[in-house]
Amino acid sequence: MEKTVIRSQRIGEEMVRIKHPSGLTMLLCPMKGFSTAYATFTAKVGSVDVSFKTQDDSDFVDVPEGVAHFLEHKMFEKPEGDAFAAYAKTGASANAFTSFDKTSYLFSCTDHFEESLEILLDLARRPYFTPASVAKEQGIIGQEIRMYDDDPDWRVFFNLLGALYQKHPVHIDIAGTVESISQIDAPLLYRCHRTFYNLNNMVLCVAGNFTIEQVLQAVDKVVKPDEKPVEITSRTVEEPEEVAQKLVEQRLSVATPLFQFGFKGRSEGPADNFRHQIWDEMLCELIAGEASPLYRRMYDAGIINATFGSEVMVGRDYLCTIFSGESRQPEQVAQEIQREIERLTREGIDREMFELVRRATYGRYIGIFGRTDAVAGIMSSAYLAGVEDPYSILDIVADTTLEELQERLKNSFDTERCALSIVRPVEG
Amino acid sequence: MNSSFQRERIGDGIYFNSVTDSKFKHNRLTAHLLLPLKQETAAENALLPFLLRKGCRKLPDFTQLNRRLCSLYGASLSGDVSRFGAYQSLELSIYGIDDRFTLDSARMAEDCAQLLVDVLLDPNLPNGAFDSQEVVLERQQLCDTIESLINDKRAYALNRCREIMCKGEPLSIEKYGSLETAKQITAESATQAWKRALETAHVELFFVGSGDASKTKGLFTQAFGQLKSRRPYAVDKWVLGSAASQVREQVDELDVAQSKLVMGFRTGKLPDAQAVAAMWLMTALFGGTPNSKLFLNVREKLSLCYYCAARFDRLTGLMFVDSGVEKKNRLQAQEEILRQLEEIRQGNFTQEELDATLLQIQNSLRSVSDSLGSLESWYMTQIMDQTHRSPVQEWELLSQITREALIQAAKQVQLDTIYFLTGKEAE
Repeated sequence: MEKTVIRSQRIGEEMVRIKHPSGLTMLLCPMKGFSTAYATFTAKVGSVDVSFKTQDDSDFVDVPEGVAHFLEHKMFEKPEGDAFAAYAKTGASANAFTSFDKTSYLFSCTDHFEESLEILLDLARRPYFTPASVAKEQGIIGQEIRMYDDDPDWRVFFNLLGALYQKHPVHIDIAGTVESISQIDAPLLYRCHRTFYNLNNMVLCVAGNFTIEQVLQAVDKVVKPDEKPVEITSRTVEEPEEVAQKLVEQRLSVATPLFQFGFKGRSEGPADNFRHQIWDEMLCELIAGEASPLYRRMYDAGIINATFGSEVMVGRDYLCTIFSGESRQPEQVAQEIQREIERLTREGIDREMFELVRRATYGRYIGIFGRTDAVAGIMSSAYLAGVEDPYSILDIVADTTLEELQERLKNSFDTERCALSIVRPVEG
Repeated sequence: MNSSFQRERIGDGIYFNSVTDSKFKHNRLTAHLLLPLKQETAAENALLPFLLRKGCRKLPDFTQLNRRLCSLYGASLSGDVSRFGAYQSLELSIYGIDDRFTLDSARMAEDCAQLLVDVLLDPNLPNGAFDSQEVVLERQQLCDTIESLINDKRAYALNRCREIMCKGEPLSIEKYGSLETAKQITAESATQAWKRALETAHVELFFVGSGDASKTKGLFTQAFGQLKSRRPYAVDKWVLGSAASQVREQVDELDVAQSKLVMGFRTGKLPDAQAVAAMWLMTALFGGTPNSKLFLNVREKLSLCYYCAARFDRLTGLMFVDSGVEKKNRLQAQEEILRQLEEIRQGNFTQEELDATLLQIQNSLRSVSDSLGSLESWYMTQIMDQTHRSPVQEWELLSQITREALIQAAKQVQLDTIYFLTGKEAE
């Protein structure tokens, strides 16, 4: 068993990384004074994994859209009943979610930590699928998909991804479609589970009120047998430089139009994407943050409101930046943002503004280390990105230079590679 | 330096509350101005936190203010409105990292407290009134917010049910006020509303975080001491109403694919803390956890709803069950929800179910102490309920509730209103 202590000089805290003989990697951060422990058990599989093979497969296998999400739902079903019922005996608050490139099972608890951890580990490791239960789940997820069809925030987001990406599966709805999930059956779920829930393709992260001995005991007890490493290759898609379409619109019952304006960034591998995400967040602040001249101009013109914001969406092989909000003139907002990017590229970023944004970003990232859920989250996203030291996120911010950001601006906010998604009110 | 909940009167109708724990990396300072919900004033009051968030006399320019926040390590200053029973709370809150985590030993807590005071008590008033252009902008934003409430269909349906159920009572008033009254706000009326709020609001100030609360208390005491001619409202408990003699039903049609069913109940009078706790426990057993009757039966076993949950508001004695259902399943879902309540009334629940519910509640109560926002909102609700129990004390109360008390609570709730939001299309 390999054990490494990771320390932060800046905040005087530490965590431990352990590689268990079973193949599982763990990141553990006991936090003094906290009542809750927050644990996530994550498999490196998400909605983008629609075509893959392992070292033992001769060819790629194509799977229906939404299979990772379907698998997540089905893992809660066991021969003895629903796994939620098991948590009923510990009081933990449990959940699971599937995103573009990972599936996480999690719980938070104040008492009975070890029992809850055993449930968590067992839950993701012991598949049980029957034709009847798969059929029933198709009905439940079908309803979930219908619920998202009504959700303007969800629609405006996926319409944008569809406009930005021509081929990359990141544009696929995480739950799939009623049609695609109808193709899922039990043998397929078993195959996906065997491939992606291999211990070498998973990570366990725990933060808060627990001891490392407690975790090791539970892992030794539940996680077996040891597994040989799996090498998963995803079929690579050549995503063209150009976006699929510049503008996409839909009508739904909303009061004010919603928009998302996105830039298709260039992915340079997981670890670089991890750093670039922080840089791009800082650039978003410089371009249109609340302290920027552009924000002020748009707010005073009444074309944005307090819902305006930005986010950087990043995974193993994609990165995009999104400005979003409500607006009666979304086209004008998009145009203003483009102009400001062009101006900053031409005239350069103001040094005083840069210092302010760096300071603000530093404060925000410090905040992560004061919450158990956020610590577990940063540990798992750093691990998935291949970043050894989750605390390095603070150094990335503190060490960023104006020149680096100026250079990054040209690459990441290419005004030729952007798209606008709008959800407008239903007419009449 | 860790300290449990402290509360002190620092002025006429002005209280300072604090909880500190060095495990946190932040301090969160909030001013709650509590005013009775009234149709005429709700919108202009609601405008104030957003208008005040735009600047102050020392930093009249919005961009300047935001740059100041950046220099305070990205401290976030937010204005919001919330509802506590029949009261509207105007909130200004600032949240920033503690001095210990800055790169240059900045005096964060004091600077944040000063900024909060400046924004609330010393706004930018050229010619004695808010800038009319600012008011026009923020008024438009408020109107947008009110109109956008329809976007979140689940919350919208819940609000509609409460509105229908409590017609004519303050509880039916939307926390942002109505669109009609919002449209009539002027720079003059907003300025008057601000003066009136400072004069008449019951004020609850909070310091929750890892720093030293005493300097903030001193600063607040001094600043709020300057307020002249205070005549604050007394914050009273809401008198719980009884259910309508006949169940009201309302169907609204909107362009939605999934329908929403909301059922509003009244708990009737809850004479003491034990009765309130029993009602809480009953609601959790009924539909408050993933092991609840509604979740396991209506959602999981019968697949009638995508979500189906019950919640109870101790300040108003209202209980709601809300669910997302297919149009064709409405009646079946409705019957099943009532049948599950009847099961509890008949005592048809196992000790195991009850234990699971208690464990979940214990978990959520003990978790309160790990989040600044949860601590503040916990104690704020306690204050409004005129009790000052800690989560641990509340747990002690809950764990002693008997089976009989719980069954009694279930028998006491009465269905009042059924609201159904559905698509225009045929089934």
